[in-house]
Amino acid sequence: MTTAVTIPRHGGTGGSTAVAARARQVVKAYGSGETRVVALDHVDVDIARGRFTAIMGPSGSGKSTLMHCLAGLDTVTSGQIYLDETEITGLKDKKLTRLRRDRIGFIFQAFNLLPTLNAIENITLPMDIAGRKPDKAWLDRVVETVGLAGRLKHRPTQLSGGQQQRVAVARALAARPEIIFGDEPTGNLDSRAGAEVLGFLRRSVDELGQTIVMVTHDPVAASYADRVLYLADGRIVDEMHQPTAEQVLDRMKDFDARGRTS
Amino acid sequence: MTVLKTSMRNFFAHKGRMALSAVAVLLSVAFVCGTLVFTDTMNTTFDKLFAATSSDVTVSSKDASDSGETTSGNGKPPVIPASVLDDVKGADGVKSAEGAVFSTSVTVVDGAKDSLSPTGGGPTIVGSWNANEARTMEITTGAAPESAGQIMVDADTADKHDLKLGDEIGVITAVGTHTAKISGITDFTVTNPGAAIFYLDTETAQRTLVGESGVYTNVNVTAASGVSDAQLKKNVTAELGGDYKVLTADETAEANQESVGDFMNVMKYAMLGFAGIAFLVGIFLIINTFSMLVAQRTREIGLMRAIGSSRKQVNRSVLVEALLLGVFGSVLGVGAGVGLAVGLMKLMGLMGMELSTDDLTVAWTTPALGLLLGVVVTVLAAYLPARRAGKISPMAALRDAGTPADAKAGWIRAAIGLVLTGAGGFALYLAGTADKATDGSVWLGLGVVLSLIGFVVIGPVLASGMVRVLGAVLLRAFGPVGRMAERNALRNPRRTGATGAALMIGLALVACLSVVGSSMVASATEELDKTVGADFIIQDDNQQPVIPQAVAAVKSTPGIDRVTEYKWTEADFTTPDGRTTDDTAITAADPTYATDLRVETVAGKLADAYRPDSMSVHEDFAKDHGVTVGSKIDVAFKDGTTGTLTVRAITSSEGVVDAGAMYTSIDTLATYVPADRMPLDLLVFASAADGQKDAAYKALKESLDGFPQYEVRDQTDYKEALKDQIGQLLNMIYGLLALAIVVAILGVVNTLALSVVERTREIGLMRAIGLSRRQLRRMIRMESVVIALFGALLGLGLGMGWGATAQQLLALEGLKVLDIPWPTIIGVFIGSAFVGLFAALVPAFRAGRMNVLNAIATD
Repeated sequence: MTTAVTIPRHGGTGGSTAVAARARQVVKAYGSGETRVVALDHVDVDIARGRFTAIMGPSGSGKSTLMHCLAGLDTVTSGQIYLDETEITGLKDKKLTRLRRDRIGFIFQAFNLLPTLNAIENITLPMDIAGRKPDKAWLDRVVETVGLAGRLKHRPTQLSGGQQQRVAVARALAARPEIIFGDEPTGNLDSRAGAEVLGFLRRSVDELGQTIVMVTHDPVAASYADRVLYLADGRIVDEMHQPTAEQVLDRMKDFDARGRTS
Repeated sequence: MTVLKTSMRNFFAHKGRMALSAVAVLLSVAFVCGTLVFTDTMNTTFDKLFAATSSDVTVSSKDASDSGETTSGNGKPPVIPASVLDDVKGADGVKSAEGAVFSTSVTVVDGAKDSLSPTGGGPTIVGSWNANEARTMEITTGAAPESAGQIMVDADTADKHDLKLGDEIGVITAVGTHTAKISGITDFTVTNPGAAIFYLDTETAQRTLVGESGVYTNVNVTAASGVSDAQLKKNVTAELGGDYKVLTADETAEANQESVGDFMNVMKYAMLGFAGIAFLVGIFLIINTFSMLVAQRTREIGLMRAIGSSRKQVNRSVLVEALLLGVFGSVLGVGAGVGLAVGLMKLMGLMGMELSTDDLTVAWTTPALGLLLGVVVTVLAAYLPARRAGKISPMAALRDAGTPADAKAGWIRAAIGLVLTGAGGFALYLAGTADKATDGSVWLGLGVVLSLIGFVVIGPVLASGMVRVLGAVLLRAFGPVGRMAERNALRNPRRTGATGAALMIGLALVACLSVVGSSMVASATEELDKTVGADFIIQDDNQQPVIPQAVAAVKSTPGIDRVTEYKWTEADFTTPDGRTTDDTAITAADPTYATDLRVETVAGKLADAYRPDSMSVHEDFAKDHGVTVGSKIDVAFKDGTTGTLTVRAITSSEGVVDAGAMYTSIDTLATYVPADRMPLDLLVFASAADGQKDAAYKALKESLDGFPQYEVRDQTDYKEALKDQIGQLLNMIYGLLALAIVVAILGVVNTLALSVVERTREIGLMRAIGLSRRQLRRMIRMESVVIALFGALLGLGLGMGWGATAQQLLALEGLKVLDIPWPTIIGVFIGSAFVGLFAALVPAFRAGRMNVLNAIATD
C-alpha cells in the first residue's frame, strides 16, 4: 500500500481541526468480473485546513475520481470519506445535496455559470438556493478580491473565459464553504487568465483562510499549491510541499519515465 | 446516399427526442383514419341493412317519402287501399305480393308504462309480420303474432329491457292505445344499428296504426325468376297507373342511404375538422422538435458544412428525418385509427347503437389519405427548421458547444404580428357592427383567421412580456427557484411562444364556444321570460306530435285553467302581388296563444289573427310581398283546400321564439283541412288556475304518466332543458377539442423534455452546487406552469374576443345578451396550471434522476 501521506486520524499537527477532509481506504471500482476497472485503490488522504492542495497525475490516474468522491459528487465502492467530522460516504442524496450546498464550493473546468443569470446572481446562487442571505461585507470583499466589481450585472455570455472563471471562484468563495474543489479550473484558459485565477485562489487561501483542493495536470498551476499529491493507477504515489513549477515538472517526467520502463 | 445515411443515423440516435412528435402525428392521423373507418363502417352497416330489407319492388302512397319514413302530420302513416294488392298481383312478372303496414309514429311501453324506445336515436317501428320481414328476421323464441292480443319484439330490445314471453306491451298511437302480450322474440340476421321493432298480425296492425282495415302502407312485390326489378317496376306501374309510388329495391335502399348519409356526412366532416385542428396544433410541436434538434446539433452541422456538405444537403438531411418521422407516425396512426374506430363502435354500442365489427370497412383510400396527410404535414412543419439548419455557418463547428445563443424575438416579427392582429381585430370589429348577418359572418371568419395567425406570429414577442408578468405574480414567491424558472421560460421566446400557441388554439375555441353557448342560454332565457305567458309546455322531445289522447288528458287535468293547442302545416301562399310562395309554414293555434306567447306586432292585434278566416304574417314577409293589414292571401293548405284569409296583424321579425311564424286559428285550419288529415298538435301549452300552479304541475305529470314520450315542463324546467341541450352540445365539442388540447399538452411535455436534455450540464452544475432534487423538479414544474398559463391567457383572451364578436353578430338573429361564463373561463385558466404541472411530471422526474457527474461531463 503506497501511502506517502500517513497522517493518522488524530495525530500530527494540530489535531482534528487541522484536517478539513479525509479519505480512509477508499476504493472506487467500475464494472465487475473481468471488466472491473479500479479507479481508486485503497486511498488514504488528509486535506489540511486552510491549505491549498493540488492533486496531480496522468490521465486515468483517478485524480478526478478522488476529487469527485471527496466532494460527495460520486459514491465510493468501499472505504470512508469524512468532511470535518461528518462521514459523507453512505449519505443519501438529500443530505449530500445539502452538504454540497452549505459546506462545499465548486469550480469546474468549463460551464460553471448559468447562462440565464448575471454574474452576481450566479455568485449568490448557492445561498439563494439555500434560502440564506449572503453576508454583504464578505460578498463585497470576495467580489473585490476577484476584481469583478464592474461586471456584476453582466450575463456569462458577455464575459471572457477568464472573467467567467473568476465569477466561478467568487461563487465558490461567497458562501464561505469549508472546502472548495476545483476540477482543472484553469484548463480552458490561456496562461495569463489562468495565472489570474490561480492568483485569486492563492490569495483566498492566504488572506481568507480558505481550504482548496484542485485537480490539475498543469505543473504551473500545481506550483501555486502548498502541497501536491501525485496519483498513479488509483494510488497516491508521492507528495511534495511548497513546490515550484520546475520541481513539479521534474517529478512528472520522472513518473513518466518510470511508467515507460516498468 | 450519405444524406440518407446520416439522416437515418440521426433519426435513430434521437428517436427518444422525436417520440412525442411521432405521438402527435400518430394521434392526428389516427383521428382522421378512425373517423373515416367509423363512418364507412356505419355506411356499410346501413347499406347491408337496407339492401336486405327492401323487397324487389315496393308500392306505397304518393305521400310517403322515398325512404319509407311513415310519419305525417296527423300521426298516421300514408296508406294505399287493399285493392292495390290485387291489382299488383295481376301484373306481369309478379311472383308474389303482400300488403304490409308500418308506422314510426308510435310509442311503445312496457307493463310499467316505461318507454321501450331506443336511447341511441334509432326509430321505434311497429308493423305487420310478413314474408318480407321473415327474410331478415329469425324467430328465436315463441311464435309470430296471430291475433290481436299478441305482439312480437326484436331480440335487442327484449334484451335491453329484459322482456319475456307473456309480458304486456302497450302500443300508443294517434288512433289509441293497444295492449298485447309478447308471443315471440325475433332476432336480426343482419346488424341492426339500433331500431326497436315490434310486430303485430296484419289486421291488428291496420287497426292499431291506421285505425281502419283494408289499407296498407306498402305492398311488397317479389319478381318471378328472370324478371328484373326495373322490368317489374314497369309492369306494376302499368297495372296501377301513376297514382302510387313504385320503387325498386335499389331505389329504396338508395333513398334510405341518402337520409342516413346526410347525417353521416355532417358527422364525418365535423370530426375531420377537429382532426384538422389537432394537425394544426401538431405542427407547432413538430416545428419545436426540429428547431431544438437543429439547435442542439449546431456544432455537428457546422462540422458537416466545414468538411464540404452543401446547404442543400444539410437542409435535405433534416427533411429526410422529418419524412422518416412522418412515415413512422402515420403508419402507427393508421393502425391506431382502426382501433379508434372499433372503440367508437363499442362506445356507440353502450349508447344503444349496435354496430358489428364484421362490417368494419377500411377503404384503401383511408390509409393512403392518413399516410399522405401525416407525411406532408410533418415535412412541411420541418421545413423552417431545416432551412435554419442549412444556414448554419461552418464556423459553428469551431465555436464553443453548449446551449446556443438565445433567439430573440425580432422586431420584424413583432411588426408582422401586430399588422395581422390589427387586421384581424378590425375585421372582427366590422363583424360586430355589421348590419347583415351574411356580411358579418364573412368578416367574422376573416377576423378569426387573421387574429389567430397574428397571435401565433406575435406569440414569442408577447411571451417575453407575459411570462415576466406571470413570473412576477406567481413565481416570485418561490425565490431563486421561481426566478430561474421564469428565466428559463424566457430564454427562448420563440420556443415558449410556439408551445403556448399550440395550447392557445384549442383553448381559444373552447372560450369562444363557451361564450356563444352561454350567451345563447342567457338570450333565450331573457326572451322566454319576456314572451312566454303559459305556465307549462308539453312536447315530445323527438319532435313527434302530441296525440289527441294526451291532449285530452291535459285538458281534463284538475287545476288547469287554459290549454292552447299548437299545430303546424305547410301551405302555398298567393299574395296580392300575384306571387306564390310554395310550402310556406303556417302555424295554427287556439286564440289563447296570443296570451301564451306575447309576440310583438308592428301592425294590428295578434288576437285578431285568430278570428275566422284571418291570419298574421311576419314583418319581412309583409315587406317582401307588399302585404298590409287587410290584405287577402290565398292559402292552399297541404292535404286540404284553398281559403282566402285576411291579414289582421303583422308580427315583428325580431325575437327567437317562434321567429318568423305566421299564425291562424285552428278553427280556420279545420275549415279547409278534413278532420282525418288534420295535423296533430306539435306543442301544447297549459296554464294553471290562479294560485294552483304547483298542484297543477303535479297533476299534469300524473295525467301524462301513461304517455312517457311527452315531457311536461314549467318555465324553469324549460330553461333548464334548453341549458342542458346547449351544455350537451358544448360538451361534445369540448370532447372533440380534447384531442387538440392533448396534442398541445404533449407539446408542452416535448418542449420541457427537450429543454431538460439541452440543459443537462446546467442541471448538473446546479445539482453540484447544492440544488436539491425537489427544488430542481419544482423549477421545471414552474416553467411548465408558466408556459401553460401563457398559452391559456392568449387562448382565452382571443376566444372571448371571438365569442363576443360572434354574439354581436348573432344579435341580429336574436342573440341579444352577451354572457361570459366566468366560472368556465376561470376554470379553464386554473385547469391550465394543472395541465402545466402534469406536463412537467415526466421531464421533472427525469431531470431529478440525472446523475450529477454524467450531467457535468456532458458536452
